[in-house]
Amino acid sequence: MNFGNCCERGTKVAYKIGIDVGGTFTDLLLVSEDGQSRIYKVLSTPDDPSEGLLNGLQEMAQDLGCSLTQFLQEVKIIVHGTTVTTNAVLTYKGAKTALLTTKGLRDALEMRRGIREEQYNNRYTNVEPLVPRHLRFPVEERVDYKGGILTPLKREDVHEAIKAAKRNEIEAIAVCFMNSFANKSHEEAAAQLIKSELPGVYLTISSYLLPSIRFYDRISTTVLNSYVGPILRRYLYSLMNKLAEAGFTGVLLIMQSNGGVVAPAIAAERASATLLSGPAGGPVAGVYYTSLHGFEHCLTVDMGGTSFDAALIKNKSPLVTSEGEINRLRIALPMLDIVTIGAGGGSIGWIDEGGLLRMGPQSAGAKPGPACYDRGGELPTCTDADLVLGYLDPDYFAGGKIRLNYDRAVKAIQEHVAAKLRLDVVEAAAGMYNLINVNMANGVREVTVKRGEDPRDFPLVVAGGAGPNHACMIALELEIPVVVIPRESSIFCAAGMLMSDLKHDFVRTYHTVLDQLDKERLRNLFAEMAREGLGMLKTEHIPENMVRYSYYLDMRYVKQYHEVNVEISAEELFAGDLDSILAKFHHKHNTLYGYSLEKEGTPVELINVRLSCTGLTEKPKFLTYEYAGPDPSGAYKRHRQIYLPAQKTFREVPVFDGDRLRCGNFIAGPAIIEQINTTTLITPEYTCLVDRYNSFVLFLNEKRDEYVGRILL
Amino acid sequence: MKTQAEEINGVKIDKILVSVFQRRFKSITQEMSIALARTTRSPILCEAKDFVTGLYDARGKMLEQTENLPILSFSLGPVCEYIVRYFGDEIYPGDVIFHNDVFSMGNQNNDVAVYKPIFYRDRLIGWAACKGHQADIGGAVAGGYNPNATEVWQEALRIPPVKVYEKGKLRKDVWDLIFANIRFDIVQEDMKAQIGSCTVGERRLLELVERYGREVFEAHKDYLFNSTEKMMRAEIKSIPNGVYRGEATVYYDGRTPGSTYKIRVQITVEDEEIIFDFSETDPQTAGFVNGTYTSSASAVLLTFLQMVNPDIPHNDGMVRPVKIVIPEGTLLNARYPAATTFGNHLCPPTADAIIRALAPAIPGRVTAGWNQLLCGLVTGNDRRKNSPYVDILFLGMKGGSGGTYGFDGYDHIGMIDASGGVLDQDYEMYEQQTPHLLLKHEYLADSAGAGTWRGGLGVETEIKLDGEKMTCVTFGDGDVEPAFGLFGGKAGALNRIELRYPDGRVHVPLSKEVINNVPPGTVWRQIAGGGGGYGDPFRRPVEKVLKDVKNGVLSIAAAREDYGVVIDPETLEVDREATRALREGR
Repeated sequence: MNFGNCCERGTKVAYKIGIDVGGTFTDLLLVSEDGQSRIYKVLSTPDDPSEGLLNGLQEMAQDLGCSLTQFLQEVKIIVHGTTVTTNAVLTYKGAKTALLTTKGLRDALEMRRGIREEQYNNRYTNVEPLVPRHLRFPVEERVDYKGGILTPLKREDVHEAIKAAKRNEIEAIAVCFMNSFANKSHEEAAAQLIKSELPGVYLTISSYLLPSIRFYDRISTTVLNSYVGPILRRYLYSLMNKLAEAGFTGVLLIMQSNGGVVAPAIAAERASATLLSGPAGGPVAGVYYTSLHGFEHCLTVDMGGTSFDAALIKNKSPLVTSEGEINRLRIALPMLDIVTIGAGGGSIGWIDEGGLLRMGPQSAGAKPGPACYDRGGELPTCTDADLVLGYLDPDYFAGGKIRLNYDRAVKAIQEHVAAKLRLDVVEAAAGMYNLINVNMANGVREVTVKRGEDPRDFPLVVAGGAGPNHACMIALELEIPVVVIPRESSIFCAAGMLMSDLKHDFVRTYHTVLDQLDKERLRNLFAEMAREGLGMLKTEHIPENMVRYSYYLDMRYVKQYHEVNVEISAEELFAGDLDSILAKFHHKHNTLYGYSLEKEGTPVELINVRLSCTGLTEKPKFLTYEYAGPDPSGAYKRHRQIYLPAQKTFREVPVFDGDRLRCGNFIAGPAIIEQINTTTLITPEYTCLVDRYNSFVLFLNEKRDEYVGRILL
Repeated sequence: MKTQAEEINGVKIDKILVSVFQRRFKSITQEMSIALARTTRSPILCEAKDFVTGLYDARGKMLEQTENLPILSFSLGPVCEYIVRYFGDEIYPGDVIFHNDVFSMGNQNNDVAVYKPIFYRDRLIGWAACKGHQADIGGAVAGGYNPNATEVWQEALRIPPVKVYEKGKLRKDVWDLIFANIRFDIVQEDMKAQIGSCTVGERRLLELVERYGREVFEAHKDYLFNSTEKMMRAEIKSIPNGVYRGEATVYYDGRTPGSTYKIRVQITVEDEEIIFDFSETDPQTAGFVNGTYTSSASAVLLTFLQMVNPDIPHNDGMVRPVKIVIPEGTLLNARYPAATTFGNHLCPPTADAIIRALAPAIPGRVTAGWNQLLCGLVTGNDRRKNSPYVDILFLGMKGGSGGTYGFDGYDHIGMIDASGGVLDQDYEMYEQQTPHLLLKHEYLADSAGAGTWRGGLGVETEIKLDGEKMTCVTFGDGDVEPAFGLFGGKAGALNRIELRYPDGRVHVPLSKEVINNVPPGTVWRQIAGGGGGYGDPFRRPVEKVLKDVKNGVLSIAAAREDYGVVIDPETLEVDREATRALREGR
């Protein structure tokens, strides 16, 4: 691929960059405005992730033969997904946070409504709360369910809490009072006091972040926001400074959990909206790559160095939930419904007390990394097993940038797995490989079978540096007939980020029986949220004609406790067409819950109104390629010995250069396709066909007739 | 053990499909459960999830369940089998059957079940069913808990299997007859929600069978039963063979203050089978403190399931190697027409007896005692909406579980009957829907039984009751004997309820009592005690003791007294010297 030299060209070329910082690798995708793209993968730098990110940009500049400053001046947009907040929660390394809450109710956060998710498991413990009890400060105040003040705010309690916060060197504060969705004056008054006495502290007010009914949902989300806020804010401001110093004048956008992007200043305030930032690009990209072949639904999986994410897409839209969780903590902001398990190239193989082999969830990460990286890691990882089984070329990992040490891999597996199980090294490595595949297949079951879907009905889109090497075996385990490995598979989420729109979600509680709905008030609430959204989108440089609104009402039959979320059209909203809105509600209630009370005329009530503001962005266009015939020999590199997992034997198989494979090329398994950042294993059960986007589409041999035509179209 | 045939009735078994079916059955019952939770009105259903959903095969054998409240769960299958026998070949597509009758396998009068037969091409292939605790079921007392009852008619409307829909047509007369005998309108609405949940189950199972065919479904289901049975047998085999005995005391039958009764169990483990025999248990009481066979059998199963691999699928195969003997006329299986509404709540002492029996055999797998249920119920009129309401005060009732080897008990989990499946109402939804104000709901310091692994914390709750014409009922236990400690661990705190009247009087009700004419403004104060501790408290790591003190859930005095850890009240630092002296000098 030839980008030319950006600095020597007469006309300026504008670039867009997607960047996904993962636990082990930072993935970057560079796209020029004429549709050319190039991928980069650099090691992550967990201590300061912006370092790795800048290393990647530096590499791009070098390849284009110019300085970083010259290069960055031509970059229009950088979209960035980050696991900074996710990792802070998973490893309990968020900010030291205090909580101010209504006196008498300070344990709601930790109680999590008293649930034990595994009912029959007496060894299943509660989650450590993000704010320990001694930092949860009770404040005397009380508002009733309608917003009436029963007990005025006791300012002394707030002062006491502030004093204790100072003493404890608190970095962030969350304020969540009972019924504040109906009257936020106490929260606002407390916020004023906190701001004046602790100006630097990161403050989250529940009635601003999530002004909707349900105390536990709100307190948990508010605390999460404060817990990760300072971490994200620090990171983003340092990143913006570094980018500005390096000459970047374009727009930086941050990926959110809802599948949309947002300006950094807003992300820093609503940090909890980025808790699933990293994987949220995946489903968006999955829609793109499978719809090219006419699929309406798909599964996306992304196997990186540390974790494995699986998501289900039906009718081209990823599932969204506002009842999400991270580490069993409720997060009530809308987010894509993605299942994450601890499986990746860095997953460590170990023997448990019962003498059984286990893989992960611990990962060697980027530091010290797998044993074969030769950077001090001594424990055997998935990558070490892949190397021993011949799937990875020690001289061509990351395009030769990391030389893999075969002997170190053997030693680690021998010492920590093979010897303990009395197996030879290959048997042990094969066991590690199989086990991690089964673990990942279970992750896919979580998003399919557990939701009543049969995985065999979905094409599997495989992403992540380590994904394509395991794709066939995961698919085989689940009997999935088609696997799509996009050319950009190793940086899949980064690609998805470039395809995402700006998106802001809002909610207000408005409790009324629908018969008595004040249509003016409803429109005003939507208008208020739209103004807020438009304001945000303006700061993000989105022209008004590129703004789209989606309107939702949460409704229920009177006396029910839970709502049905119904999307309504602008026409229905502005005409106040209650009949049409009600018809939608009854229909959805029946679809979801098996009945409706339409005939009975049971009154319906409104609880929440929700608005999604989308700012449409210009999507990168990728090139398509001409049909070049079935013969792949132009990309043939050599033969290599690899282990065939189902056949349990080594065999000589052809190795192809993925970058030289052309549209229409057929490769029968077993074979290996090497690209700079990823290796694809085609097992004997599958055949690979290269599509017009240079993606590798693998299908079960017996399904050849069904898929060939479809893929080449 | 012989290996399973790879072919059943001429259908070749596809092992992946077996797991797909198993997970699919589970996911269907979960979807039914979500549907029910999201559509019902009574908070005990939609917030506390006091219900169960399940799928059964054509004979009524359990395919899978979602057991939010396990004590109701293991009665659905037996009743389904009863219904199949009862209606014989008069079961039609579009039928909907209600059932609550405790003398035909029901577990509790208030737990009303809905059964919907599932037909595929005119052939019965299975059942969708669910059962939920209804806010009222007729009888003498609103809400169903009547400590004065001596026979079933004083407690409830009996509903033996009855079709409310036949061939898709509502039997309006039957429907009206039932609901003419029930106090609250929401019960009707909640039963409609239960029918809806069954419809969801029916739709999903049909999709599955349409896709794979009936023969494949039948064969793989049978294979699943067999493989689950194998798993359960292997679990039982891991318990040393022997005969184990345990007992527990039930306090106060609701009629004679100070009365006590014994539950006695003899457990025989022989290779791959286990027998729970309650023949030596005391006779039934004259009041409502009596079990039904299925509520008692559920208590046995849910306790035992916590001692085996929690990943075993819940289907007919799981229950095959477990035998339960409870003679009629005993406290746990009362003879017709006894009052039995309290029966579900004999689960905690039944569990205690089983735990005590098996503790010597499998010490690493049992817990210390769980906090027993003590619950309250308020009925009255909501002035704000001028409509009657009922509030089962489950915010107040969730205490701690017992510690176990390697793990502290679970704080605020609630009775073992639910095992953490009953959730607190969301505070704000509670105040929106009920004319009550939540003043306090917090962990109670020093409530957990001390141990190397302490019991779960109990909770203190204060609620201002602001309805009109209020009547309160208490039902439960645990106010006389606390959750027991095990292997040197100490007992948890006792349960207690107080009513603080606006005029300053305080009333401490018995564990089963009806309190009439409760004035608005009364504060309901309740302590749900902690779980029992496991192992010697002096061996608990000092850091863990200190952490509890810092968080205010353990007093400095109790740290010293129970754990032998000396902490400076000013600095909150451990006095290592004094601690060592105290711990070693014992």
